This record gives sequence, C-alpha cells and structure tokens, in this order.
Amino acid sequence: MSDHNPAVEHDESHGSIYFRVFIALCVFTLISVAADLVHLPSKILLGAIVLAVAVAKALCVLMYFMHLKFERAWKYLLLAPTTIIALALPVSLRPDIGSSYYFQDLQQLKDYPEHEARVLDALKHESGHH
Amino acid sequence: MTHAVAAPTLKMGIPISNAKLGMWLFLGTEIMFFTAFIGTYIVMRMGSLGWPTDPHVTHINIAFGGINTFVLIVSSYFVVVSHDCLLSHQYAKAWKFMLYTLLLGCLFLGIKSLEYAGKFEHDILPGHIPENNRQAMDKVVVQFGALMDRHLAKAFPKKEKREDQKAELDTQIETLSKKADATASERKQLSQYQAIAKLNSEYISLKEHVRGNLSLTVPYDKFDDIRKEEHASSKYAPVTLDEVNHKVEELRKGVVGTHEQSIDEGEHKAKEPNNDSDIIKSLASGLRSAQPILYGNLFASNYFLMTGFHAIHVIIGLFMFLLILMKGSRLSIDDAILVENIGLYWHFVDLVWIFLFPLLYII
Repeated sequence: MSDHNPAVEHDESHGSIYFRVFIALCVFTLISVAADLVHLPSKILLGAIVLAVAVAKALCVLMYFMHLKFERAWKYLLLAPTTIIALALPVSLRPDIGSSYYFQDLQQLKDYPEHEARVLDALKHESGHH
Repeated sequence: MTHAVAAPTLKMGIPISNAKLGMWLFLGTEIMFFTAFIGTYIVMRMGSLGWPTDPHVTHINIAFGGINTFVLIVSSYFVVVSHDCLLSHQYAKAWKFMLYTLLLGCLFLGIKSLEYAGKFEHDILPGHIPENNRQAMDKVVVQFGALMDRHLAKAFPKKEKREDQKAELDTQIETLSKKADATASERKQLSQYQAIAKLNSEYISLKEHVRGNLSLTVPYDKFDDIRKEEHASSKYAPVTLDEVNHKVEELRKGVVGTHEQSIDEGEHKAKEPNNDSDIIKSLASGLRSAQPILYGNLFASNYFLMTGFHAIHVIIGLFMFLLILMKGSRLSIDDAILVENIGLYWHFVDLVWIFLFPLLYII
C-alpha cells in the first residue's frame, strides 16, 4: 500500500497560479471602484461593467480557488441543476414585479412626483452652491 | 483451467470523497439560497422607479465596501495558500496562514459593524424610513413624543402615566416659583422643569399643526377658533416638511417660540436666546429632522437581509477556522480534505460578496 492519502485529490501545488489569480481579483476590484468614481454617463453602462467584472471575478474564484478547473465532469452534473433552479426564481418574478403591462396601484408610485420634485430641488441647490 | 481474475472493485458514483461531495451539495443549496435574495433584489430594484442610489441618502459607504472586498479576496488567497502548504507538508506555515485568514474574517466583521452603526445612527432601518413628506412629518412628531416621554419619566420616575407626570410638572413649577427663599439647587430645578414644560408645549403645538395639516405660521392658540370655521382647510396654508424640519433645528439650537415666523420670509429676525436656551438645547438634542426616502424601507430590508445573512456565513466560517487552529501542532496531511472543504466554503462566502459589492455599493 502506498502511504499516499487517497482522500487528498489535489496534491499538486498551484502556488504561482493562486498568486496570479489573487492579483487578477485585486485588479478587477479596482476596475469596479474606478468605474464608479469616473461617473459614467449611463447607469446601465456602469451596471453592465461592474456586473461583468463581478462575473469574471466569480469565475476566477470558482475555477482556481475552488479547483473547478482541475475537477472532472462531475462538476457539471452537480452544478447545472442548481444554477437552473437558482435562475428560475428571478426569471419568473421578473414579468410580475420587474415589468408589467398594467399600472401598479402602489403608494410609492403616487409619491413619485413629490420625490422627483425634491430631487430636482436638491440638484438646483447643489448647482446654486457651485 | 485458468482461475478467473477477480474483477477490480468498482467505485460507484462521483469520483471525489464523500466529504467533498457533501460540501459541494451544500454549496449548491447555498447558491440557490443567495440567488433567491440577489435575484429578488434585482427584480425589485428594476421594478421600482426612484430607487434610492445616492450614497448621501442611503449612507452606503463605497470605501468600506471596497476595503471589505479586498479583505475577503486576501483571506480567500490565504486559505488556498494554507491548503497548498498543508499538501507540501509545511504544517506550521499552513497553520499560520489559517490564523491570518481568521484575523481577516474578524476585520471584515469589524468594518461591517462600522457600516451597520452608521445605518443605525441615521435610522436607515426597515420600517423606520419615511417614504413621503407626510410620513417624514409624522416621524418627527412620533420621535418628539418619545423624547418628551423620556424626559418626563426621568423627571418624575414615580409617576407612571404621562398625564400624572405633566400634572406633577405643573405643580412643581408653581410651588418652586412661589417659593421666595429658594435655594440655588431649587432654582436650577425650577429652570429644568420650566424648560421641559416649554419643550412639551412646543411638542403639542407641532403635533397639532401636523395632525391638523396647518402651517406653523398659523398660531397654535388660534386653533380652537379655526376648528369652528367652515372650510378652514382651504383658508390656511398646509404644514410643510421644511417648516417642521426647520422647527426641529431651531429647538436643537435651544430656540423656542418662533413658529409664528414664516421660514419663507428669507432672513429671519435675530432671535434672543432666553435663559433656558442651554437647557432646551440639551433636552432637544435627541431630536432629528426627517427626510423621506422613496423605497427606503425596501432598500433597507434588502440591504440588511443580504449583508446580514452573508455576515452570519462569515461568522460560521470563523468557527471553522478555529476548529483547524485548535489542532495546533497536530495539524497534518490527514486534515487536507477538511481544510479544502472549509476553503470551499470560505471561497463561496467570498463569491457572494463579489456580487453583493457591485449590486449594493456601486449600482
């Protein structure tokens, strides 16, 4: 019998890869913060950039830190159903809450003009100070 | 005849250890758990016109969020380094990196608690946030009432009912004012009682103005006559949030009895601070003006739900690290699977934060 512990599946060292992934994660974080600080013209663009960066960071963590890159095909068997079910909830909620063809009778929507006036007022004040 | 060679033992199922399979199955449920929160947050956010995004309003601190992201990334890196050291039989080094990870987890929670303290200070809590001007005025009145309750209960702890406390306050003021040979402490006590009485009358006046929807420029002593008038609501200006907040600021400065002046008149007449000014100022220091935040409660619920559950996961992770650290010099290659599983859990905690950071702090 070999004294190799059969429970240890990954006995090779990935030290240098880990460090590169760590640096990549730091750079991605800086990109996210920079995207916020430069005041992009559109909120949608900002959202798209930071979420794309988040997905890239998540992939780095999953692939290297969580070893999925070095694992065999079982990872698809285990993670595919989870991912599908996880996405089902927001996708099914979206038509009802996120966007609907009818007017929702919500107090907050009735208060929106008041809110908008307040925001405009604050902006005027701000530009007045400048 | 040849003997049949025994067939090699077949290993059924997925070719990983049971412990690791268990951890991955658990992480699968965790993915669904957090996606439910994150997904509903995104849907609510998209479906709510006017969602609060201004950091001055939400008191979201991007610097805290950014530092915490960095802290978690470093800690995630240290976990894999620790596991790597364990595989290369550098047990002391593995233990050391596990300790660093634990300390970084504590640092994360420390920064998180600073953020939470800011939310509590500004009352950005679910159910506490006014979403329109009317609710903001009501909030000021309710917190003013609670403040008066505290002052009266402190002054007269033996009386339980508010009416009894107020009656006692009037009696004490009358008795002490008539006393010709009052000592210095009695005079001080009288000033304190008079200040409480003044503040209380300010409270009652403000409450009636807000409830009656009458501008603070309408004197409170005319309310009885106004109530008898027909169509009174169309004759007098309604109360505004600016007026109410202005009143709060005046009281916090120790100025009382100025509600007859309109705040729209621009320059105010110089107000002479009376003798009770300092006492009023200290009594009214607990008062806060209120600004409405559209969808503020939904925002606060989502924020605390997501970051709260994430913080609970961090705390559980810290206990797991302690489990390893308690092994001390007994840490060996046999613990590699345990360390790997704890690492998987910790990376997942990092993974959740990777999405929470842009969603809550940037977008």
